[in-house]
Amino acid sequence: MEPRTDRIVIDGVSDGPRTLSSVVDRPDAVFRWIARSGGTIVVTVMTLVGLFLLIRGFEAIQFAGPAFVIEQAWDPNSGKFGIAAVFLGTVFIALTAIFFALPLSFGTALYISEYAPQRLKPFLITTVDLMAAIPSIVYGLWGFFFLSPLILPLSQWLATYIGPWFPPFAVAGFDPNDPLATPTIFSASTFIAGIVVALMVAPITSSIMREVFQQAPLGEREGALALGATKWGMITSVVIPYGRGGIIGGTMLGLGRSLGETIAVFLIISPVFVIQPQILEKGGNSISALIALRYNEASAFEISALMAAGLALFIVTLIINFGASTIVARSRSGSVGD
Amino acid sequence: MTNPGMRGVRAAIALALVASVGLGPAVAQASPARAVGIVYQPIEGAGSTWSANALQQWVRNVFDNYRWKISYNDQGSSAGRQLFAQGTTDFGVSEIPYALANSDSPDPRPARQFAYIPIVAGGTAFMYNLVIGGQRVTNLRLSGETVAKIFTGVITKWNDPAIAADNPKLALPATTIVPVVRSDGSGTTAQLTAWMRAQHPAIWNAYCAKAGRSNCGITSNYPVIPGSAFLAQQGSNQVASTVAKNSSVGAITYVEASYAINARFPVAKLLNAAGFYTEPTASNVAVSLLSAVINNDPNSQEYLTANLSPVYNSKDPRVYPLSSYSYIIVPTAIEGNFTLDKGLTLADFVSYFLCEGQQQAEVLGYSPLPINLVQGGLEQAQLIPGGDPQNKNVSTCNNPTFSPDGTNKLANEAPQPQACDKKGPDQCLTGTGGASGTPTVGSGTTNLGTGGTGGGESGEDGDNSDGLGSVGDGETVGLGGGSKIVTGTPLTLDSRGIEPHVLVLMILATLVALSAVLLPPIIARRRAALALAAPVGSIPRAATQPRGSPYTRRPSMPKIHLPARFTKFGRATAPGEDS
Repeated sequence: MEPRTDRIVIDGVSDGPRTLSSVVDRPDAVFRWIARSGGTIVVTVMTLVGLFLLIRGFEAIQFAGPAFVIEQAWDPNSGKFGIAAVFLGTVFIALTAIFFALPLSFGTALYISEYAPQRLKPFLITTVDLMAAIPSIVYGLWGFFFLSPLILPLSQWLATYIGPWFPPFAVAGFDPNDPLATPTIFSASTFIAGIVVALMVAPITSSIMREVFQQAPLGEREGALALGATKWGMITSVVIPYGRGGIIGGTMLGLGRSLGETIAVFLIISPVFVIQPQILEKGGNSISALIALRYNEASAFEISALMAAGLALFIVTLIINFGASTIVARSRSGSVGD
Repeated sequence: MTNPGMRGVRAAIALALVASVGLGPAVAQASPARAVGIVYQPIEGAGSTWSANALQQWVRNVFDNYRWKISYNDQGSSAGRQLFAQGTTDFGVSEIPYALANSDSPDPRPARQFAYIPIVAGGTAFMYNLVIGGQRVTNLRLSGETVAKIFTGVITKWNDPAIAADNPKLALPATTIVPVVRSDGSGTTAQLTAWMRAQHPAIWNAYCAKAGRSNCGITSNYPVIPGSAFLAQQGSNQVASTVAKNSSVGAITYVEASYAINARFPVAKLLNAAGFYTEPTASNVAVSLLSAVINNDPNSQEYLTANLSPVYNSKDPRVYPLSSYSYIIVPTAIEGNFTLDKGLTLADFVSYFLCEGQQQAEVLGYSPLPINLVQGGLEQAQLIPGGDPQNKNVSTCNNPTFSPDGTNKLANEAPQPQACDKKGPDQCLTGTGGASGTPTVGSGTTNLGTGGTGGGESGEDGDNSDGLGSVGDGETVGLGGGSKIVTGTPLTLDSRGIEPHVLVLMILATLVALSAVLLPPIIARRRAALALAAPVGSIPRAATQPRGSPYTRRPSMPKIHLPARFTKFGRATAPGEDS
């Protein structure tokens, strides 16, 4: 065999990259096979869910055309329907939820990972995880019967004093000078639904943050302390920069979860099919609540429209969750820590 | 009543007989051999929330007494019809039949075979939460047109002249009316819109068009105009709870009377064609349904369904115009996952609620079914495959509406309305619905259960507009007989709003809170800087704090830990080496 001319050949041995081959023995092969098929199944199921939604929703999307994303009304039987109102309603609820969940879970995570006494720590971790295990219907009932009457004065206060300057807090039809104005104008609002959803997403957000905080390297922590930093100084200079990815990622995962939250929103909100950016005012909507409300009584075409709405939610949630997991994964490698 | 165990045995014997016929050469006597289920298999149903209170009670009863497992999901009539049509559930419950005439949606009949059986009668009541001067109003009266205007957003304040005209003895406040409607597909909504469409078509059509509906037929999905005072909630239970919240003053909703009774809230008396304001009591509903036109053709697909429009205008002074009854939709063929065993459970359940169950209807806030509907229902129940209902005709049926001469006993004995319930300057003060307790002697402490609240004189309610509130000045007046009424005098209050001193106080409070957070670190920094800077004189602050740490300590005497015996603070009793 004639050696190729562009290689230096010494004693008939080429210095080109040698091929590495590893012998895979049976346990390894089996494990690899299981892991691979598990991963494949997850991806396949996900793709199939998306495909299913696309196929079932195609009829409605085709019928509505581009109006599907700009139309606010939802009346598939008369052919006038679109996701503009419900989709933005979902986003408003999710943003309200994140506004409350972010500081709450950040503080919880920081306390548990840095300040809590060692003996208390496992108990606190379990409690927070247990919060995530409470069924959402329980949160919903709690929000409907307990929280919503109690939150009305706060909503009223915000609408009275902050509403005039801050448009999202303005409430049309609320006159602070009318002593007989009914507080029901503040009930069943995006704000209340958002607070309840915040309590539901806070556990997952805070456990992700806590895990990342706990991974802040001991050496750098001790280094900061040795240089004379106080505990808070150490946290701001080591733990938080190191956990920045976890904070962002956990928040985004929480956002993804709050976009899909169904029963609590369904119980609390008074559905309206119009873009409602005044979060304190009664009425709002979300895609998942709409599906829960209409699915049981829908005609075939209406179901197709609901599937199309579900597809939109699925895609957005997927994008947010992928973004979140990428950020979390990168932060765990330590590359983000400075 | 036969023991179900016995019936099980009977069914088993029947099966054994059938088996022997199949095996042996002997020819058993030819019977109209209907296959009968053997065991009571659990069944599932879904539908109406209007009749759910009665149905859930019966489901509990038959489980406690006979261990028949029936699960009922009150998801609304629309869902009930749809889930039954899909074959998901074994029975559906709905206030309106499939393919209702004049409906806004097609709602086609399902492919599976089915029959309607009446469940229970009742009145669609207007439950409200209205407070005058701290006292709950329990004797509100409304005319049909006022109700239609309230639920179409034409009347928006409780002190509207139309409402005042119906309630001469109430000094109504300028509170906003909050109509609470159903957000899910609901038979109650269908009943209400059918009534509005028949009685007040102009009002309904104007509203429906304003809400952007292309079809203004009878609808199960109440249209809501964005930005209006309307609240939409899901299920009868939730609309009733919304109205019953303390914060929901001014709210009114439409639910079956039982929900108001359970919530201990009053219902509005509705004006009938005879000029009387009536309540949806069991006997009034029974009287009203005498005028319903019931489809009596057993071959019709709509057998036993009713045309309620004659009820709306019935001239009997006891009529409650929004009386109706709801249906259970049962399969009449073995299709999908329906089995003979399920049929056994379903047929016996139907037979139970048409006879025994109706005894409880009045207590639960409904009205028992009259004899003709029970008769028809029992016939229909025999169409359920696999069923062998206990009561095959009304002779064994123990229903409170039956009388020997075949007329409706409950309707015969229904009391005539009080004179004060007649349209005019007088108004009854007794409570209604769930707030109708007997007037208690000498006890005026509870809002509910003691007589109603009366208002001031009709001439006294002045103009309550332009942001000035009118609230009643509660004052109890003893009446003959010990019952108490409350007279209200309108009282004008200054408006609250944002007053300058409140604003100043709020800003001050914010500043104090901010300074409590921000000042300590700033002061600490300055003191630290001063402590370091002082010995060196005019060296800039930055130079003294190379690390920029705010926590630089003032140098202090080092702490030296000496054995106790070297300090005067040592423990006197400490066992030292020198002792």
